[in-house]
Amino acid sequence: MKIIFENVTKHFFKQEDRTLKELIPSLLKGLKPGEFINALKDINLNIQKGDTVGVLGRNGAGKSTFLKVIAGVTKPTKGKVIVEGKIAPLIELGAGFHPQLTGRENIYLNGSIFGLSKKEIDEVFDDIVAFADLKKFIDTPVKHYSSGMYMRLGFSVAVHVPFDILLTDEILAVGDTEFQEKCIKKMISFKKEGKIIIFVSHALETVAAFCNKGLLIDKGNQIFYGDVKEAINRYKNL
Amino acid sequence: MFTFFRNLYVHRYLLYNLTAREIKSRYKQSILGYFWVILNPLFQMLVLAFVFSFFIKIPVAFNIPYSVFLYSGLLSWNLFVYSITSATNSLIENEALIKKVYFPREIIIVSSVVAKIYDFLLASTVFLGFLFYYHVNISSLVILYPVILIVQIFFSLGLSFILSAFNLFYRDVQYLMNSIFLVWFYLTPILYPIELVPEKYKFVYQLNPMSVLINAQRRTIFGGGDLNYTSLFIAIILSLVVFQIGYMIFKKLEGLFADVV
Repeated sequence: MKIIFENVTKHFFKQEDRTLKELIPSLLKGLKPGEFINALKDINLNIQKGDTVGVLGRNGAGKSTFLKVIAGVTKPTKGKVIVEGKIAPLIELGAGFHPQLTGRENIYLNGSIFGLSKKEIDEVFDDIVAFADLKKFIDTPVKHYSSGMYMRLGFSVAVHVPFDILLTDEILAVGDTEFQEKCIKKMISFKKEGKIIIFVSHALETVAAFCNKGLLIDKGNQIFYGDVKEAINRYKNL
Repeated sequence: MFTFFRNLYVHRYLLYNLTAREIKSRYKQSILGYFWVILNPLFQMLVLAFVFSFFIKIPVAFNIPYSVFLYSGLLSWNLFVYSITSATNSLIENEALIKKVYFPREIIIVSSVVAKIYDFLLASTVFLGFLFYYHVNISSLVILYPVILIVQIFFSLGLSFILSAFNLFYRDVQYLMNSIFLVWFYLTPILYPIELVPEKYKFVYQLNPMSVLINAQRRTIFGGGDLNYTSLFIAIILSLVVFQIGYMIFKKLEGLFADVV
């Protein structure tokens, strides 16, 4: 299991004029109907088994794009990305949930989105429910869930799917303290199992405590990749 | 096309779940629930049948009541339009998924089309009731009916691939489609039999796969002579070409979906 980035660049084409009414005047004036934005520029990385990488950077630096490229959701414009291993995208909890369906139905739906078969979901179903602590509400449509319950179920499904690489984006900011501790415990056990964890967070203390490597991005540029302490120092001086 | 079927097979459980979600969630919080799938086309048919058999009388072949004639065309036309409309919007509705998790995006398109096929089958039960009630003689060619329906589904999928992908870039597609379907509806022999079309305009109908397919579907149910195999052949080839091209465009643009949705 590994993640390798070789000169990875990602451009976005930003459409400023989305409607014809806006498009025609700007064409007549000879303006370009949008511009390219460098979301990532020449990223070079080598992440190996057992690495936990904290991704640092200001808002809009390209952190989420970085995760999306690893997840295979968006293709890089240039460069080569090699990802070996099964990915658990924890980018946003409960992304595939449907409000009208019950917790149970959503577990099966979400499990299948992560590529599991019915049998594989059956096997972890009880663990998912127990971890999320939602046994009583499992047959209630999730639209009646509180946002905390929603997050708990989302987190629980994602971490019970067998994976090698975990992508997280500010997920520990949710739920009550008790659940947060449970999440951190779970993450530490993953770390011990040698899984790759990519950890996007603004909580520098957590990053320092949890990660062994740090990646600092600013305006799409890779400023630093290496020891987590050094990455945090450079981030503070940015 | 091989990739298409392999992806469907590998992700069959996801396909099943997305389709089930589509079907289950639609009529929640309504008293009649899924009954609406049957009621809506029935009302639509009754209104049209009333207009076109009382005010403007359209003569139909096959020696069957106008309502039966109309229903046979209307149901597959609805399947065609609803499939494409819902597939075109499906990528936008699943924005959250497209931005977060990778799986072949055609699963989303196919699941919304399969959900519409399910609706079609339910709505067809009433049609079967009509056939029974009016003692309509069914032709032996009816065994070919599913084949023609499958061709129609491939045609719909091909268009859905193209339109859904373009719609992500410019939402004009979904609005434009409504107008195109309106014109297309009248250019397809649904309300009227193809025999009413003057000879010199018939070529338009031959190049319109929906016209050929709906006409062929009717022939397989009600009899009335052999199928027009030349037109049917053209329609089948056209449908498969549209499917193949649509799928290629779709796969080519897939990597950009998360950026533009």
